[in-house]
Amino acid sequence: MRRAATLVVAVIALGASGVGAYQLAPSSVPLSAHWRETAWPFPRDGWPAGRAFRCEGGGCDGAELYVRAKRGFCNCERGVADDDEVDRVADIDLITPRFSATAPGEVVRVGEMHGRARRYDLAHDGASRAAVGVALSRRCDLFVAAVQGRGDAGAMQHAALVFLETREMKTWVTAALDGN
Amino acid sequence: MFRCVLTAAAFVLFAGGTSVHAQKQTIGAPPEASNMKLVGTNDLQGRSAYQPTIHHQGDRWIAYIGHHGGTDDVPDPVNPMTGKAEPNGTSIIDVTDPAHPKYLRHLPGQEGKYESGGAQMVRVCDGKTLPKADPNAVYMLRTFGSEAHEIWNVADPVNPVLITRLGGLKDTHKSWWECDTGIAYLVSGAPDWRTRRMTQIYDLSDPAHPQKIRDFGLPGQEPGSTGAVPTELHGPISTGPNGNRVYFGYGTNKGGILQIVDREKLLTGPKEPTADNLRFPEISRLPMSAFNGAHTTFPMLDMPVAEFAEDKDGKTRDIVMIVDEAILNECGEARQMVWFADVTTETRPMMISSYTVPEASGHFCQRGGRFGSHSSNESMAPVYYKKMAFIAFFNAGVRALDIRDPYHPKEVGYFIPAITQATDKRCIPVEGGERCKVAIQTNNVETDDRGYIYIVDRANTGLHILELTGAARAVAGLPKP
Repeated sequence: MRRAATLVVAVIALGASGVGAYQLAPSSVPLSAHWRETAWPFPRDGWPAGRAFRCEGGGCDGAELYVRAKRGFCNCERGVADDDEVDRVADIDLITPRFSATAPGEVVRVGEMHGRARRYDLAHDGASRAAVGVALSRRCDLFVAAVQGRGDAGAMQHAALVFLETREMKTWVTAALDGN
Repeated sequence: MFRCVLTAAAFVLFAGGTSVHAQKQTIGAPPEASNMKLVGTNDLQGRSAYQPTIHHQGDRWIAYIGHHGGTDDVPDPVNPMTGKAEPNGTSIIDVTDPAHPKYLRHLPGQEGKYESGGAQMVRVCDGKTLPKADPNAVYMLRTFGSEAHEIWNVADPVNPVLITRLGGLKDTHKSWWECDTGIAYLVSGAPDWRTRRMTQIYDLSDPAHPQKIRDFGLPGQEPGSTGAVPTELHGPISTGPNGNRVYFGYGTNKGGILQIVDREKLLTGPKEPTADNLRFPEISRLPMSAFNGAHTTFPMLDMPVAEFAEDKDGKTRDIVMIVDEAILNECGEARQMVWFADVTTETRPMMISSYTVPEASGHFCQRGGRFGSHSSNESMAPVYYKKMAFIAFFNAGVRALDIRDPYHPKEVGYFIPAITQATDKRCIPVEGGERCKVAIQTNNVETDDRGYIYIVDRANTGLHILELTGAARAVAGLPKP
């Protein structure tokens, strides 16, 4: 009982800890995990910069998440069609140009957006890391996420998708896809 | 004093009024033009148009015009000649008398809206120039939506006959066909390649019996490769066996690449799509800014440049004009424009100049729809080749450039068609919904050997046939009308 109360207090505290720290929904990921916003680490390219986060605690501890909108980059009718498209657009190549998929991707959904997620091994600074690329479409626009870390790819993917479902992130995603 | 203030206020109000007018096209307002004049029009049955190809066919001039798919509001416009709703395909129009274009036939394309349907691309070759074809035939190569390439015999343009279909593809687009050899560089997405669009090279010298030569793309796009996938192809242009070069443009509005390829090595080199084999025919690449793509890569080789006439070396230059494609409405991206690359030293291509329509000249970011370049004329007929280029600039209409000195390209004329009831809206997302405006969206442009300029509208306004006037006519060396 006392442990449950502690958890509730922790959850409330995390929920009220301000922008950039977000509680994760229950599942295999411990409740103590949260995402703290960091600076966008990549040089300027053809797309406006997105937002970057680092997971603190829980099953995604140490993972880094990069998200951004890519407007006008998607087949308006078909959406994200296949795994090759995830390879091309999900910003995994920002982390390293040398990556290889470990398995076929899967259909994912965040809010009203549908798309695909795929897991990768990264050859990065001589160390082996796992990554997950996510590509979601809204009409002719894309929203992409890439998460990387030393932990389990499945746990990172789950934590990232739960985070993207938070109200704060959904509001930001909508604004970014609107060009704001 | 008070009178002066009133006068000044009236002037400010008037200036504001004209500015607002310039920002918004209205039905019934005249076209905006400089040194270009409207000769004739056709509404293309209200279909969104892409590539026009004008072919001198016997004693007639026939325009073959590819279409994007339909719209949400009108997925399949009615063909008044048949009374039936037909998915957008190819419009075939007799433009022998450009003042009175005669619509001959609509050849339906693939069902689908916007970029997903229609039959965007079209090229035409005479059977008598193709090495192994029926000399009495005229062949039209077109895309069928995103899934196939088709060849039709259009010797009788009213009654085209399907000859060949190459199917099972995705994202077919802006192909090139050498009429003197039959070699075709078909832009497609092969199912096992990692990119949406790459090149499938065919020998179509006998259109009834296509012979596959090879697949081609950038290393990293081929089947089985890993890691980052290079920018997808948009379209190639070949100089044929004489020039022995193919200029590939990759990217539309981002991460553009001009790739210069040895045509002979491309066609006869090792064909297995490995990274080494894909590198083998490449001479060089010119990577562009991440902000811009390469929609059209138009070669103009051995151009005499007057400014360099007295120089001991480099009097003539090999130039490639690169045209980006604007994608987003109301300036929602970096400016897409026109670039000139000097490729005289082929392994060291260098960007030398650029051109864009000044935004403030028409407040184009506020007019609605896309503003920026999309495509150029691709005819190499002597009337304009290496002298003038015509650029489709979406809501800024078509722009006529004097390119005789490609180091200093200069606009010498423009034409922005009037909108009509058929002109479709263009929308952007705003909080809680969307806001739409109606503006011309000049999408593609082509010229014929007579010097007429054909522009077509992505927003369903149709075809406008133009001619040069005034100073622009003098640049091309055309006689006074």
